[in-house]
Amino acid sequence: MASAGIEEIRSWILSRHPERDDVAPDENLIESRLVDSLSFVELVYAIEGASGVEIDFDNIDIRDFQTLSSIEKAFFAAV
Amino acid sequence: MLPGRVGIDLVPFARVSRLLTPEAEPVLPRMLSEEELGLCVTESGPDIPGIAGRLAAKEAVFKLFHAAGQPMPWLGIEILKENGGRPVVRLSGRAARLARDARVGHIEVSIAHDDPFAVAVAFCDTATEREAQQQLESA
Repeated sequence: MASAGIEEIRSWILSRHPERDDVAPDENLIESRLVDSLSFVELVYAIEGASGVEIDFDNIDIRDFQTLSSIEKAFFAAV
Repeated sequence: MLPGRVGIDLVPFARVSRLLTPEAEPVLPRMLSEEELGLCVTESGPDIPGIAGRLAAKEAVFKLFHAAGQPMPWLGIEILKENGGRPVVRLSGRAARLARDARVGHIEVSIAHDDPFAVAVAFCDTATEREAQQQLESA
């Protein structure tokens, strides 16, 4: 079962894409253009808000942000 | 053929306006340095075309690094102003390392804005071009 935190991130993405009604856990958010370079910064901020984890922007591993599954594993697994 | 590189990007004013709404996450300080933020205000408030142009220029410069798959080093690519208003690029930190790894030399940027978009083009020479030029000059 998905954590509350990742559901918050899923809702955040969907709120910016009213043409969509869901985001699959393994859908690549960047390749599908659900997240671009401008909204990536907003996404990082949203993850920080939902997880309480402070993210060092200069040491980001982009693979942690590619899908909802990878975001959940990197930032919400222990929640 | 000159082995230079170009990068181009476009930012809609609406994207910037959304970043400035009270309910938006306060992300601009993660994208614009203090010095840049100081350049993006007018007497009537935030300079939306100026912010859009600066963000577009940063993305255009990043494309010169051929670093697809890496996050944008927003604060490491600063778009400042020379006397007369011409935009100039200052690199630092990870952005400077990416530029060095990609053999990026001098960078020029040009920015245009007309509602509803700002567009920016970046051009650089590369180390190989500079080396070739030096060889030509010394021949």
